[in-house]
Amino acid sequence: MLIQTVQNSRNGRAIALPQPLPCPPGCSGEPLIRLRKVVKRYRTPAGDFPALKGIDLDVYPGEFVGIIGRSGAGKTTLVNVLTGVDHPSEGEVWIGDVPVHSLSENRLALWRGRTLGIIYQSFYLMPSISLLHNVMLPMDVCGLYRRGQSEQRAMELLRMVELEDHAHKLPSAISGGQQQRVAIARALANDPDLLVADEPTGRLDSGTAETIFEVFSRLIEQGKTILMVTHDLSLASRVRRVIRLVDGQIAEDSNGL
Amino acid sequence: MRLRPRLQKVLSDLAGNRQRSLLVLASIAVGLFAIGVITTIYVVGPDDMRSGYAATNPPNIAVQALLFDRCAPEHIAQTPGVRQVEAVRYASTRLQTGPNDWAAIDLRTAKDLANLQIGTVTVVNGKWPPGEREIVIDQYKLPDTNAEVGDMIELETPSGKTKAVRLVGVIQDLGIGAFRGAGGFFNAPIQGFVTQETLEWLEQPQPKRYNTLLLTVQGDDQDEVYLESVAQQVREELERCNVQVISVATRSSTEHPNLFLSQAILAVLLVIGLLVAFLSGFLITNTLQAIMNQQVQQIGILKTVGARRYQVMGIYLLLSLLFGALAFVIAAPLAPQVAFPVIDFLTVQMNYIFYGPRLVPEAVIAQAVLAVLLPVSAALLPVWQGANISVQEALSGLSQRNPPNQGWLDRKLSGLRRRSLLLVVSLRNTFRRKGRLLLTLVTLTLGGAVFIATFSVRVSLLDYVNQIVQYFLADVNITLDRAYRIEEIEGLIRQVPGVKQVEGWMFARTEIVLADGSVGESVSLLAPPAASPLVKPILVAGRWLQPGDRNAIALSELFKDAFPDLEVGDTLRLRVEDKETDWVVVGFFQLAGKVSGYSAYTSYEYLSELLNQPGRAVAFRVVSQSPNLNNLEQEALGQAVEAHLSRNGIRVVDMTTGKHLLKTATDGFDVLTSFLLFLAILTALTGSIGLTGAMSLNVMERTREIGILRAIGASDKALMRIVLTEGALIGMMSWVLSSLAAFPISELMSDSISQSMFGGPANFGFSPIGYVLWLVAVSALAVVASVMPARNATRLTIREVLSYE
Ligand SMILES: Nc1ncnc2c1ncn2[C@@H]1O[C@H](COP(=O)(O)OP(=O)(O)OP(=O)(O)O)[C@@H](O)[C@H]1O
Ligand SMILES: [Mg+2]
Repeated sequence: MLIQTVQNSRNGRAIALPQPLPCPPGCSGEPLIRLRKVVKRYRTPAGDFPALKGIDLDVYPGEFVGIIGRSGAGKTTLVNVLTGVDHPSEGEVWIGDVPVHSLSENRLALWRGRTLGIIYQSFYLMPSISLLHNVMLPMDVCGLYRRGQSEQRAMELLRMVELEDHAHKLPSAISGGQQQRVAIARALANDPDLLVADEPTGRLDSGTAETIFEVFSRLIEQGKTILMVTHDLSLASRVRRVIRLVDGQIAEDSNGL
Repeated sequence: MRLRPRLQKVLSDLAGNRQRSLLVLASIAVGLFAIGVITTIYVVGPDDMRSGYAATNPPNIAVQALLFDRCAPEHIAQTPGVRQVEAVRYASTRLQTGPNDWAAIDLRTAKDLANLQIGTVTVVNGKWPPGEREIVIDQYKLPDTNAEVGDMIELETPSGKTKAVRLVGVIQDLGIGAFRGAGGFFNAPIQGFVTQETLEWLEQPQPKRYNTLLLTVQGDDQDEVYLESVAQQVREELERCNVQVISVATRSSTEHPNLFLSQAILAVLLVIGLLVAFLSGFLITNTLQAIMNQQVQQIGILKTVGARRYQVMGIYLLLSLLFGALAFVIAAPLAPQVAFPVIDFLTVQMNYIFYGPRLVPEAVIAQAVLAVLLPVSAALLPVWQGANISVQEALSGLSQRNPPNQGWLDRKLSGLRRRSLLLVVSLRNTFRRKGRLLLTLVTLTLGGAVFIATFSVRVSLLDYVNQIVQYFLADVNITLDRAYRIEEIEGLIRQVPGVKQVEGWMFARTEIVLADGSVGESVSLLAPPAASPLVKPILVAGRWLQPGDRNAIALSELFKDAFPDLEVGDTLRLRVEDKETDWVVVGFFQLAGKVSGYSAYTSYEYLSELLNQPGRAVAFRVVSQSPNLNNLEQEALGQAVEAHLSRNGIRVVDMTTGKHLLKTATDGFDVLTSFLLFLAILTALTGSIGLTGAMSLNVMERTREIGILRAIGASDKALMRIVLTEGALIGMMSWVLSSLAAFPISELMSDSISQSMFGGPANFGFSPIGYVLWLVAVSALAVVASVMPARNATRLTIREVLSYE
């Protein structure tokens, strides 16, 4: 099988949470992501600017969540806080039983590498190494795969995004859409249960965007959980759950548009 | 105003990343600083030496003769070419420095000390000239007297009594070592000035007579040949009035007795100065290139909003200039703060006058040129490249024209990935921009090489100085008032507890007889027994004296300088106690070069016969039963020996410890080794800051990559490993290159030093200490310089890191 399941060392300790939201259809048990009263303020010369104003959110395993909202609504901020890329000013962020809001950068990094795949709008590939190596990098860093295994796996992931022919090129030698597909392959390298993507199709034409969406859909079928920020309402209409942010607050949380 | 937003951009660039700006500033400033210090010393040092010496109206000709009162100076002044004449009387005696302690002193007197015409002195402290039963002493060896102004000083009379004179003043005499004796400045005894009346009271014979004539010439006093010709006429004139001339020597008015040392220092400074100038150049270029690399994206943005090439270039040249100007503002006032104390130290050590801190235009100009020209020319190429890249290339932050996956090195590196992909990333980083790597390496290599070379030369010079001890192996050196039978004295000395061995030596003050029959420089001729174990010479040519040698002589290397054609096997004519005798040169040995003057060794057996004193000796060398005595222990033994001899009615005119002789012989080297240490520290500072700057900037360029690695799960440890691998790699490469480059540099430095000190090449060995020290420094700095910015990067959240520029 292409995507192998890796046993995460979770202890399964139950944590009492205030009023868990009802489990939507098709979900199983406890929520995977729990945000509690999350506030994020940016320090600016003009004073503190609240980008998130008290977000409460539960996401269950296997959900495909779309996050939409106007530019400046706080989507990227939410994703950053959720993935530990940035720290919340107030509130708690739990993923599984990991308190993301209180981990050090170092602990966060290791945890993230093993449990989370992040896809950025601007790809952030390592410019000095080949596509293959870029995809291998998370496996190398986290040590979940043996070496021979990781190269084979990286090749398979590149094949999945239809880039195995370019495996030995440098990121600068391929197009933006291709780079984004490499970034997705890289995000999947350690076979994380949760995938977070900030406008993964923002820079791509609709055809390419469609390919990427299909990749995501297949991953959902395999049991992954995906959070995707998007401006593309046609894509948003196809996900199971849509959250609309307005001025740093959740204005709408619905099952499909 | 059209310029304003752009100017604002430049300023916010400076302020925006404070840590990076500070590094750039420090790197440029330290280069400027080093150049400022070196230029200041280079200009002011010799300037003050030359002008200070010339200001004393130094003698161009010095004639030593047997005591005379005929041939009035006024008469000699009539000789064509002579401008001024001054008749001087020198007397040598001892002054008491402790209960049983004595030190040699030269007393100088003239008819009218208040109006010295030639070789004037500077009053440092107290009164000048001395009155009756008063003495004024030169500052340099004043500490040896253990006396202060106002104290009474006990001087020895020829009959062996002591008489007290009052120390009333301290002066500085820049002429010490210019003529008298063969030892030069450092070997000269304490210098005292007394009146003719005091000299008479001190029981010196015929106190109103003179034994030295000092003259200045009319016309070109820099022309050796001219000086010689005037000197020859003066000598003939003196001989015409039956004055017995012992020696005649000439010297130009700007040739301070320690000029050779100053030249050694200047030679080293020149070598280091040029290298440091290069170093600073590379440092500045490197740092600015690092900045430019980080600005590529910004250039793209500027160009998308319509900035034209000259505008883009203008902004970054302005930025470079601003860095240069700021660094100049920091370095320019700092350099004199270090340079002038060093000059002050040198002037004291080398007996000349420091005319005080002042503005040194050469240093300011050198720094200004480096601060303005270098940054601009250093920035020109990267700015040109940056301004020419397409908007797309600039925005993607990568140069498409130089895809990095090209060279064999990269393919080799890819092969390494079996070991670790992270290692590949760090190696790739290291070799990605080969131009930058080269620049960084050259900078670090130069800094390291200069440090290693300087240190190496210093250590080997110290080693050399320590070898000189081989000429002073006896613990105690005793000179008696006349020759005694060796058996008698040896028997007496052996009665002193602790004495292991006694040797009787002869010595003679001799003068070289030149080819035209005239008398030249004085030579001190020492005559230990041919098989003496107390001298282990450093031979540079020929052999040492052997038992059975007759008129064999071994000469110090200084002869080679004065007589380049003189070879082993040649004959040298010396005047020994009024008799001209021929000597066969059997070898040349190395002593302390020009510091120790002309000295020669022959065998006791031959010299005692020549002087009609067989079996007798004036000088005795005493060796203690316990080896490795320190100076105080040697002193104690010497006093015991002296006291015992005195009790038996034998007068000791001089007792000096071996350690003291060694110190006097090597004093000149101390100046040099201290100075080299200073230079080593200066280059280490420049090199270290350069190293730190270059490496930190390298890591800072990696900040975004660190963010990416972080986002995909790299731990602190993994990140540190990458950064450290890269730092260590660059550090080690530069160390290896430095070690290689240090060879020719230290060769060049020790050659120029020995040219000045010995008048020829000398072989200073290599010292591993400099290499080891720099290895330690490079490793430590590589770690600090890499880890610090990396730690900063790991402390940031990924959002902050990814938005870093
Ligand atoms: N580093 C920052 N400092 C200050 N304010 C910030 C910073 N980053 C974002 N903001 C502000 O926070 C608000 C939310 O920003 P965020 O990037 O989350 O918006 P977004 O929903 O992702 O917008 P877009 O769709 O344009 O990407 C915006 O008003 C933005 O100006
Ligand atoms: Mg956004």
